[in-house]
Amino acid sequence: MGPNTNPRKRKAVTREAPPPASDSGEELADGLLDGILSHSEDSSDEDQDDNDDEGDYDSEASSVIEGLSDEDEEGDDESGFESEDEEQDIREQLRKLKTSDSSSHHHDTNMDFENGGEEGLEEQDDSLKPNYTVTTDANGNPRYLYKEIDPVYDSDDSAADVSNTIGNIDLSYYDEYPHIGYDINGKKIMRPAKGEALDALLDSIDIPKGWTGLTDPTTGKPLNLSAEELDVLKRLTRNEVLEDGYDPYPEMVHYFSGVKEIMPLSAAPEPKRRFVPSKHEAKRVMKIVKAIREGRIQPYKPLEEREEEDEQIHYDVWADEKPRPEKNMHIAAPKLPPPGYEASYHPPPEYLPDKEEEAAWLEQDEEDRERDFLPRNHEALRKVPGYENFVKERFERSLDLYLAPRVRRNKLNIDPESLLPKLPNPEDLKPFPTTCAAIFRGQEGRVRSVTFDPLGIYVASGGDDGYVRIWELLTGRQVWNVKLSDEEAVDSVKWRPDKDTSILAAAAGESVYMIIPFTILSPDIEQASRDILDAGWGYAASKPSTNTNGETKEPPGKWARPGTRIEAKGVLVQVTVRSTVKTINWHRKGDYFATVSPRGQSTAVAIHTLSKHLTQLPFRRLKGIAQTAQFHPSKAIFFVATKNSIRSYDLAKQELVKILQPGAKWISSIDVHPGGDNLLVGTYDKRLLWHDLDLSTKPYKTLRFHTAAIRAVRYHQGGLPLFADASDDGSMQIFHGKVVGDMMENATIVPLKVLKGHKVKSRLGVMDVDWHPREPWCVSAGADGTSRLWC
Amino acid sequence: MAAQTEVKVPIRLSTRDQSIRLEQDAGVLLVQTTLKRPQLSALVNNLLRPDAQPIPFDILINGQFLRTTIDEFLTQNGISSETTLDVEYARAFVPPLNVSSFEHDDWVSAVDVWSQDVQSGQERILSASYDGLLRVWNTSGDVLATSTAPNNGGRITSLKTARWISDKKIAAAGLDNTVRVYKYDDESRTLTTTLELYNHRWGVEDIAVSASSSRLLSASSDTTISLFSTNPKDNPAAPTTLLPTSTTASNKRQKLSKPDRTVPSRGALATLAAHTAPVSSTIFKPSDPTVAYSTSHDHTLKTWDLTTASCVDTRTTGHALLSLTALPQLNLLATGTSARHITLIDPRASATQISAMTLRGHKNAVVSLDSDPSSEFHLLSGSHDGTAMVWDVRSVRSGAAGVDAEGRVGECVYSIERESIKGGSKTHAHGEGTKVFGVRWDKSVGIVSAGEDKRVQINRGIEL
Repeated sequence: MGPNTNPRKRKAVTREAPPPASDSGEELADGLLDGILSHSEDSSDEDQDDNDDEGDYDSEASSVIEGLSDEDEEGDDESGFESEDEEQDIREQLRKLKTSDSSSHHHDTNMDFENGGEEGLEEQDDSLKPNYTVTTDANGNPRYLYKEIDPVYDSDDSAADVSNTIGNIDLSYYDEYPHIGYDINGKKIMRPAKGEALDALLDSIDIPKGWTGLTDPTTGKPLNLSAEELDVLKRLTRNEVLEDGYDPYPEMVHYFSGVKEIMPLSAAPEPKRRFVPSKHEAKRVMKIVKAIREGRIQPYKPLEEREEEDEQIHYDVWADEKPRPEKNMHIAAPKLPPPGYEASYHPPPEYLPDKEEEAAWLEQDEEDRERDFLPRNHEALRKVPGYENFVKERFERSLDLYLAPRVRRNKLNIDPESLLPKLPNPEDLKPFPTTCAAIFRGQEGRVRSVTFDPLGIYVASGGDDGYVRIWELLTGRQVWNVKLSDEEAVDSVKWRPDKDTSILAAAAGESVYMIIPFTILSPDIEQASRDILDAGWGYAASKPSTNTNGETKEPPGKWARPGTRIEAKGVLVQVTVRSTVKTINWHRKGDYFATVSPRGQSTAVAIHTLSKHLTQLPFRRLKGIAQTAQFHPSKAIFFVATKNSIRSYDLAKQELVKILQPGAKWISSIDVHPGGDNLLVGTYDKRLLWHDLDLSTKPYKTLRFHTAAIRAVRYHQGGLPLFADASDDGSMQIFHGKVVGDMMENATIVPLKVLKGHKVKSRLGVMDVDWHPREPWCVSAGADGTSRLWC
Repeated sequence: MAAQTEVKVPIRLSTRDQSIRLEQDAGVLLVQTTLKRPQLSALVNNLLRPDAQPIPFDILINGQFLRTTIDEFLTQNGISSETTLDVEYARAFVPPLNVSSFEHDDWVSAVDVWSQDVQSGQERILSASYDGLLRVWNTSGDVLATSTAPNNGGRITSLKTARWISDKKIAAAGLDNTVRVYKYDDESRTLTTTLELYNHRWGVEDIAVSASSSRLLSASSDTTISLFSTNPKDNPAAPTTLLPTSTTASNKRQKLSKPDRTVPSRGALATLAAHTAPVSSTIFKPSDPTVAYSTSHDHTLKTWDLTTASCVDTRTTGHALLSLTALPQLNLLATGTSARHITLIDPRASATQISAMTLRGHKNAVVSLDSDPSSEFHLLSGSHDGTAMVWDVRSVRSGAAGVDAEGRVGECVYSIERESIKGGSKTHAHGEGTKVFGVRWDKSVGIVSAGEDKRVQINRGIEL
């Protein structure tokens, strides 16, 4: 024990005991230990040091001191106040001891320390003086008279009694033992650590905080780290944020959540941009689209990458796997009736068979028995014998399972093909047009209308160039033409249905022209045609239409000669109505024809009488825009199609017969079946509708096969069950549409052929279609400036 | 290997051509199956006339031309080499190569060749055009004579058909409903109209001429056939309603158009009216000028007795018939249909089937037909798809099972494209710009065809 170790020891003590700094802080408030605390720390330390040293070196006093110090350590666990008081008491006792025992011989080995201690003690005595007074008792011995104890809060000194529990026994007796005595409970009091063990403990503990073992090069003092610096280092090693007070995991605050709040943070309505497609996004998408179109963005992966992928070898483990039938074939067992009373082991006596019944049961063949057991009575369940048929039944069941063929039965075994309607094979429905047999080329601009002559030798066409042209059918040779108008397109051409004459009606602008193409006619046919046209001249003049006031009304149609230029070509009559004529349709007898000019409000539909050169307006008012009008093929019925409905009128009775509602947005054309009971409607909304006039006002069939508007529909008028439509997608579709006279059977409609060939020009494809009067041939008018014959 | 090459098949040679028939039947011959057509042809030549110049023969086995070795043929058709093959040999068809083309101003609608009783090189080719003019050509492509446009009162003059009646007379007709007889003078090289025959109210599609009986048949779109005599005096007076001068309007036009130059006009001896649709073609029966056949758009082929002017027999087919020619030795009539095929019809009353055979291969309406003057089995057809095709009726392939009536289907032997578009763009079925309107097969001139390309094209098989 060199003096060099002393500082450590002292420190250890200060650590064990409550730190003096804190003491002083608390005492300051108390004010009781003012005097002590006025001392420097060093002196107090010296004082304690003194005690320890005494414990170490003085054999007699040390035992007491040891015990005291022991107590002291135990008392540490308790409150600081108590330990403070204890300390005071111990010191007092120590003083007594010293004054009593060693007051006579003042010389000690460590005098220097004693002196220091003496000084301290004296000072302490001064402070403790008021506690007692020394008097002489009757025997002459000094007598200590203690002052009355003021029973304040911490005046209790009872703890002083618990000082030494080992009694007044010399510790040397325990030298060989690890303990130094026994406590009141008989347990060993272990020897306090000392010497080397204590050193080791201190070695392990006593490196002060912030000790680095380095010297500060600037000051030469040991380089110690401050608590802040240590904290920074600690954070560094933990990879934490150096800044103080930063919380890497703050608790999440759900400002916006799925929960609908009663009082939301913001009750503003949803902004409009949530519902409006983003212009910005559209712009960006269009940018990408443009880039793809220009080829700046390659929409497909470059080929190389694919090759790389191909290089990887993939093993198809299931390549030669054959489909196996599903194993999961659960067949539910048949449900058995629940057992009755007779099946009980102890049935009521009425269920028990009597002898006759038993004999009869035994007599019966096994298969004929009503029950497969005989009710028997047993007194108790434990008396029921084993089931004698167990093995036999199990065997039979196994045999059944083994032998019975189990087939999975599909609940619904219907061939999906059989659900499709049975349509005849198109091959069986020949003949119908399949290929383009001739192209009539030579027109400029769109061809708007085509028509066959009644004999089926020639085809007439009219188009945007204002010409009406006549073509030889099979060869496609243009045999005649006339220019009707410089500005107006020829919107419609229709041959008059009469085989003995040849009159062509053509509409250009507001005029309808009657044409006799005499160069291809024989003189007698020409003469017959001229006679028909000329018959009406002067009729209108001889019978001017007058109203009740006697004023001459302007007739709805003006019949005149068209002028010598085209009269020389064979255009003989010009009928001018009030607005542009789009459609011409002849009555079957050829005396009447109807024109439709959709722009004319009340004059939209006009019926003209050829023999009287008379124009009549049958409808004062028409609901909707008139699209087309047609005569019934056999009765005096007139069909007028407006934008989305078709009305049929009885011309004889002058009344409305029927209103058909095809459900179309915009009707483009209609055609009446030669039988008169069916009507075909083509619409600009791509649909082809078949109306059965006997059935309903709604369409019987709706066919939607085109990708663009349907411009024209046409029945074959010569007895073949065919009809065709012409669409803006550049194709025509040929259908088989057989109408049976039997009222019980509906019409069969079979799509036969799509005829493609016309080019789509400015979104117009095929403008018109017409059928040959006898053969399954049709001719089409294309927006590409050609007409085509399909055979 | 050796055994395979030694496989032999028994054959029996035969022919339908009398001139090359074997004098004595060779009986059953055993030939190697590796033989091809040239070897078999040489074999036939050896048997027939070993010393003379060999004739190339085509070999037909079971109605099919042998184009491969016999072995492959047997394998293809599943015939055992044990069975005796009936091998038919025929003079090989020499592919007709393009010789020359005669260019016109307008579409050429019909063509005819006069080669009877003239020495080689003096054949005359007649062409009728849509511009209304007849032209007579020599074989080297020079126009010898051109007719003048007729004065028909401003009406259309396009010609549809033209025929030689004799080396001095030509008949032609067209869309102006009139059949005209022209006189051709080879010396002065002039064509003058000598007769106008009026009986039709619509365009004339076809005329037929019988030189022996000097009769003329014209088929018209007005559904009638008219019988005329080529001799003007024999015909009655023309019906007044059909003359251009009959109506005031046309008379006025006619007078305005041209000074009148009188051409005698006559009417018809008889009008044959039984068809219900335009008559497309008519011919005389080759052996009997009192019998005529006609085809019409009403799907029928009618047989006419001209002496009584009545319809004797009607054969109805499934399609509009557009052309007609006779195969006299086979007693067959060939008609071209709008359904793109040629139907061979036996017109005799004893025939039970309507269609004896169907020749398929054209892609558009078959509008002109002629038979090979040197072989009774070959047939020439012109179609709106822009090709002329040569057919051999011996080449028969059994058609689809169960279709007995049209079970026998023939295939084209050779197809003649239009020279004007050779090497150009591919042809379309609608044959725009290349439609063939008329074909004629002459023994000395070869195959003459006229069409929409404004040319008369001559193809001839060059004999080696």
